[in-house]
Amino acid sequence: MERQYRELTRRMVVTGLAVALVPLYLLGIALYSYFTAMQEQNHRAELRTLAVNRASAIELFLAERTAMLEALTHTASLEQLTTPGELQSVLRLLNRRHSSFLDLGVLDAAGSHLAYIGPYELQDRNYGDAPWFGETLMHGVYVSDVFLGFRGEPHFVVAVTNETGPEPWILRATIDSEVFSRLVRSAQLGTTGDAFLVNPEGLYQTPPRFGGEILSTAPLNVATVPPGVNVVARTTDDGKKVLTAFAWLTDKDWLLVINRDPDEPLAAFRLARKLELVLLVAGTVLIGAAIFFLVNLLVRRLQTEDHKRAAVDAQLAHSARLVSVGRMAAGVAHEINNPLAAIGELSGLMEDLIDEEFIHATAHGALFRENVHKIQEHVERARKVTHRLLGFARRMEPRQDTLNVNDVIEEALSFIEREAGFRNVQLTRQLDHDLPVIRSDRAQLQQVLLNLLNNALDAVADGGHVLVSSRSDGTTVEVIIEDNGSGIPKELHDRIFDPFFTTKEPGEGTGLGLSISHTIIQQLGGSLDFDSEPGSGTVFFVRLPLTDV
Amino acid sequence: MSIRVLVVDDEEDFLNSIVRRLELRGMTAVGVASGAAALELLGSEAFDVVVLDIKMPGMDGIEALREIKQQHAAVEVIVLTGHASQEFNRMGLELGAFDYLVKPVKLDTVIERIQAACGDQEAP
Repeated sequence: MERQYRELTRRMVVTGLAVALVPLYLLGIALYSYFTAMQEQNHRAELRTLAVNRASAIELFLAERTAMLEALTHTASLEQLTTPGELQSVLRLLNRRHSSFLDLGVLDAAGSHLAYIGPYELQDRNYGDAPWFGETLMHGVYVSDVFLGFRGEPHFVVAVTNETGPEPWILRATIDSEVFSRLVRSAQLGTTGDAFLVNPEGLYQTPPRFGGEILSTAPLNVATVPPGVNVVARTTDDGKKVLTAFAWLTDKDWLLVINRDPDEPLAAFRLARKLELVLLVAGTVLIGAAIFFLVNLLVRRLQTEDHKRAAVDAQLAHSARLVSVGRMAAGVAHEINNPLAAIGELSGLMEDLIDEEFIHATAHGALFRENVHKIQEHVERARKVTHRLLGFARRMEPRQDTLNVNDVIEEALSFIEREAGFRNVQLTRQLDHDLPVIRSDRAQLQQVLLNLLNNALDAVADGGHVLVSSRSDGTTVEVIIEDNGSGIPKELHDRIFDPFFTTKEPGEGTGLGLSISHTIIQQLGGSLDFDSEPGSGTVFFVRLPLTDV
Repeated sequence: MSIRVLVVDDEEDFLNSIVRRLELRGMTAVGVASGAAALELLGSEAFDVVVLDIKMPGMDGIEALREIKQQHAAVEVIVLTGHASQEFNRMGLELGAFDYLVKPVKLDTVIERIQAACGDQEAP
């Protein structure tokens, strides 16, 4: 492909791809960000629900324990509970279902144990000064923060006051926080999610999955967390983006914290993204292939059209050249004809008079007569040239004879048969005798065929071969004149039909024959083409249109 | 009686030679150098055939032909010119010229056409 077509192809492909793919990719990006936004929204909603659920579960757990103790203080009297051995059976009863109660203690209003059952030696301990004790007396119910007891197990205390008697008394229980930690842990999502409880001081109340021990300080500013349930996107101290749900418990000043990786995709979105990617790639490939195909098709067609137009342009240029050359030829012929006529008549008169005068009797009489005759011959020769020039220049309306091309071929052949005989050139006919008659100019056609036959005869060596055939394909009648002569060199093919172009010796050919023949056949609505292989011969094709007769 | 021919041509050498040669062939030939002179002579003398050039100074051949055919319809005109043109040819024949010949032409051809013109004229 030529350079400008390659450039055109490149530009069209680039433009086409840009026009088709930019919207596709914009759509892809929009869909992707929509998916991402949807995912974050979904993450938030999911996280909020989870936080609310877990917080409720934890509250339920605490409320259950508190309610158990409260029920106990109202169903059993102080006397019953302080009866030795009674507290132990109560603890067993409480732990029948969930063994979360570690110990039980009954305290009087001064903070001294009235009874105690449990693994710790607390029998003689007085809690009168402990902050929780005051709190319990004041509010009736108290839940402590988590602490590590003597055994290093994390646990916390629940206490309730009975004020129905004359003296208030308190039932206190220690609860293993392991059961309760499990509740919180169940909110740890995926492989990177975390969930834990912190107290207002920021100390872990349940062990976090990452970055700390129970009761160590969580990297959070708990004081700034607003009440209720909140979901926020934030960046941790080590630079990781997390989505966090904060949920304050209602009955206890604990904050439930649930972290999750916002980029950890949900299965549905993972599928949607994969599908989108596949669609984008498939779309790109399809659009790209379609554009390449269409552009190539278009450019190839354009190229064909350009070539056709170039051929027509060349044809027109050729015709214009013929016209201008024809005008010049006519002008020259006109100017030469008059002096030629004068020479002809003057010499003719000399020839006419020569016998009457003394000249013929002189020593050079014969020479005079001969030379005057030769002048006449040369005038005749010049006349042929100018008349052919005029014939070439003439844009005459072709006559419309009804003719059989075979007859015209035979007439033309009759002119050259003698010469062919002399030179022992074999003339062969292959005529289609069912040839349809056509309407054309008999004289002009004969001129063309004669010209072509003469050329063929000139081209072959003595003893050569010239084949003349005719045929019809239903739309044209074709005359083919083939010789086995020297052929036409390839570099001369373009000039064969140019006026004044000849390969014959100077003075032998005018260089107008083929040019005129070409013009004539064109004027007759046909075409004159040739095919030549140097060394093996030349074929001329005369095609004439079949017309209504 | 010999055929009377009037040759009209501005080319003096051609005119004199052809007139002389026609006379040598037994015709009565007169030469004039312009269309106007031809019309003048035709007014006073009778001719069978006029051999007429086209490109001439003053009145050109086509105009002269028109005048001759108007004034002397019986006179046959043979156009003989160096300016072979399809248009002149067509016009000449339309205006009633007997034939249209292109210079240079063999004298025998001219005589043959002159005789043909007279023969047609004299035919019953």
